[in-house]
Amino acid sequence: MNAAVLVQLLVSGLAMGFIYALVGIEYTLVWNSTGLLNFSHDKLIMLGAYLFGGTFVLGMGFSNPLAIVLAFVIMGLIGVLIANGIFNPLRTMQSMIFAVMGTMILGRIIKEACRLIWGPAPFAISGWLSGNIRIGKISISNANIIICLVSLLVVIGLQLFLNFTKTGKAMRCVAQNKKAAALMGINVTQNICITTAVSAIICSIIGILIIPLFNVSTTMSNSIGLKGFSAGVIGGFGYLPGAIIGGIIIGIVENLAVMVLPAVYKDVVSFVLLILFLLVKPTGLLGKRA
Amino acid sequence: MTKKMKIRIAEIIILLIALLVVPLFVKNNYYLLVFNRILINAIVVLGLNFITGLTGQMNLGMAGIFALGAYASALITRYANISPWVGLLLAIAVGWVIGQCLGYPSLRVKGVYLSLTTIGFAEVIRLMFSNLTDITGGTQGMRNIEPYSLFGFKFDTQGKMYYLFFVITAFGFFIAWRIVYSKWGRVFKSLRDNAEAVEMSGVDIADVKIKAFTICAIYGAVAGALYAHFMGYINPSTFTIDMSTNFVIMLLIGGLGSVIGNIFGAIIVTILPEMLRFLDDYYLITFSIIVLLGAIFFPNGWVDAVVRLGKKTINIISDKRAENGKAVSR
Amino acid sequence: MSSILKASNVTKKFKGLVAVDDLDFDMKDNTIHSLIGPNGAGKTTTVNLITGVHDLTSGSVEFDGKIISGLPTYKIARSGIGRTFQNIKIFSSMTVLENIMVGGHEQAKLGLVRGVFDFKASKAEEKKLREKAEEILNKIGMYELKDKLMKNLPYGRQKISEIGRAMMNDPILILLDEPAAGLNPSERAELIQVITKTHREGFSYFLIEHNMDVVMNISDYITVLNFGRKIAEGTPKEVQNNEEVIKAYLGNKYVTKKKVSGEV
Repeated sequence: MNAAVLVQLLVSGLAMGFIYALVGIEYTLVWNSTGLLNFSHDKLIMLGAYLFGGTFVLGMGFSNPLAIVLAFVIMGLIGVLIANGIFNPLRTMQSMIFAVMGTMILGRIIKEACRLIWGPAPFAISGWLSGNIRIGKISISNANIIICLVSLLVVIGLQLFLNFTKTGKAMRCVAQNKKAAALMGINVTQNICITTAVSAIICSIIGILIIPLFNVSTTMSNSIGLKGFSAGVIGGFGYLPGAIIGGIIIGIVENLAVMVLPAVYKDVVSFVLLILFLLVKPTGLLGKRA
Repeated sequence: MTKKMKIRIAEIIILLIALLVVPLFVKNNYYLLVFNRILINAIVVLGLNFITGLTGQMNLGMAGIFALGAYASALITRYANISPWVGLLLAIAVGWVIGQCLGYPSLRVKGVYLSLTTIGFAEVIRLMFSNLTDITGGTQGMRNIEPYSLFGFKFDTQGKMYYLFFVITAFGFFIAWRIVYSKWGRVFKSLRDNAEAVEMSGVDIADVKIKAFTICAIYGAVAGALYAHFMGYINPSTFTIDMSTNFVIMLLIGGLGSVIGNIFGAIIVTILPEMLRFLDDYYLITFSIIVLLGAIFFPNGWVDAVVRLGKKTINIISDKRAENGKAVSR
Repeated sequence: MSSILKASNVTKKFKGLVAVDDLDFDMKDNTIHSLIGPNGAGKTTTVNLITGVHDLTSGSVEFDGKIISGLPTYKIARSGIGRTFQNIKIFSSMTVLENIMVGGHEQAKLGLVRGVFDFKASKAEEKKLREKAEEILNKIGMYELKDKLMKNLPYGRQKISEIGRAMMNDPILILLDEPAAGLNPSERAELIQVITKTHREGFSYFLIEHNMDVVMNISDYITVLNFGRKIAEGTPKEVQNNEEVIKAYLGNKYVTKKKVSGEV
């Protein structure tokens, strides 16, 4: 195997890693603020892609930037709706089984809704994030470069938001201690709405970014959703930097695993890592003791 | 034996007889097929009840266990060219091994972590079966899996299979009933409420948890084996997280911990989508919305909700009668 | 009198913090032995060390002549030690009777498979277990409540039920971790009654308690901890007049006043 292939694998691994990192961030935000593991998150990613591609670009013929902004707005609103209608009743239930199943079924509903609205056939958005850059023998797709750049921007933006805005600081308070936050005059319910909206917008960013890799279909984000969970566990559950590190590790390891394992086992890698970490080091690489 | 228990047993016997005569009246193969699927699903839910219902641990990997049972039985029947009954025995053995292996992580990880572990397990199993193309046929699946036969009598129609599965499910129900309403069921339940107190009572909780997981996995693997020979065709794309979710939904609708509820859950979740078929394209979304609302509004399961509603109306009626009686006497 | 519970040089460190420091005590059979001390003195840690919830950093615990330190909790429980918890640990979704019966799970020896198929044996065993539980409920004055759901009971009853659950295993020794905390005066009186009555019937109690009324009334012997160290031990009278104890509870300035009331 030559160096050029290795570099290409590394870059595509890094890009996938950033996607997993974003997935990790998106559900960790919800986990921290509501205590719910959002099993419908992969369907929100898909919904973001459908809104952008199916409705605004192909359906209404808007320009890409306008379509992105509109997708963000709609997804944010959907996030608020989900937080109010579903997460709030679920998070006060005594058994966590209901919370898990509630978000699972929500995912099904979203998936079915997409299939009904946009039809069962997968479609591509021609010209969206296409093309390659060649550096010597190495060929890197534009999509991978843009994925890395946008993900970095999201990570930095989110850090600034969480650390320097009043809303962001309140979100961190709620994540640490809901009761204390409520006593300090923070509206926890409203905070959960904002967090879920932010999470839903990140979902749509992921969905829009992966269109060139998977096309738009009802199953486009299935494996990404689960691998995002692996990312969180490997890096340290409930800890944002952990999700980022975990995501990048999974992305690179599963791409390089192709060099030693048959290619079909690529998808198994992240789940084996997930189980190993849960058994050996449940706190993850960066996690503090629970 | 108390009077209440006698009534219970009488109810069960009537139910059994009613279920036994079903195929005499139902000649439609499609209905019988649905009944058979109910029976197989019921076995899975009876098993899942031990882990998710009683000890309260989230197992979202039932499809993986089911798939292992199905493939174990189908593969040995095909390649060793022996009776599916041996396959069933193998499935029990496989279930036992999975239970011992999955029980171990359940000692170390709890809550959502355990649900992630079980999802990961099921995904690895599914991907393995789709990639071992030489043995399992990969995503093409395995075709023409032999049906069960007994002393030359082949269970090859839906009606015949119904009786076979009915007997097996009834046996599974009996065992589950005996365990749930014994000291074991009690200790499983207490584990859900407070593990430390159970341990301080001298109970080896690791052993008990692994027992619960093993029972659950044996039920799942047996149901998987039955499924393989019932369908005659298996494909890894069936055994997804969607399937695991369905099993948990059956458990929730029936009510956590209730053995009779398990059966009703299996019936409702298997039949409801069939009944909603008239909605055509909209049936799945309607079904999901019904289930979601059910989970939010009836956290003790639908069966419990119906029973409560029944009791309430009876109370209201008897209250009214009492009032009327008073009015008359006055 | 022979020794029943003996701690020798027991030390527990949590990441550098010494929670229990070189603790020795020797509890005699058929007594009520109390462990007292200000908040954070290491009392609950000591109970957790005895029951194997935490591992000892060094030292050993001996119960009934055998070393039990290092054994897992369930084996320690099986050897004849019962326990109640500071923050009650009950099975709230089950009935009172069921709660007590879980305590006797290990007493019923029938295996899982035999239990399913051997109707007669399982029925007999269940009956034996239920009768024993009912007898214990009678003893702790909760028989009438047996079919109530545990979560619907008042706090005091829930706490006393833990003693009943512990008794199911036929223990020789029961560790009570702050049984009176959170109880109102009448519940407290009832608790004292249950403890003294069952003590007369042969149970030994190792008691951790803040409420000095309870401690001074029923203890035969008291060990006093402060910052993980034993600072005094003796009969209730001796402890009440011990300078170190008064200093630990009230501060230095009270030591000169020799006469101290029962309120330590």
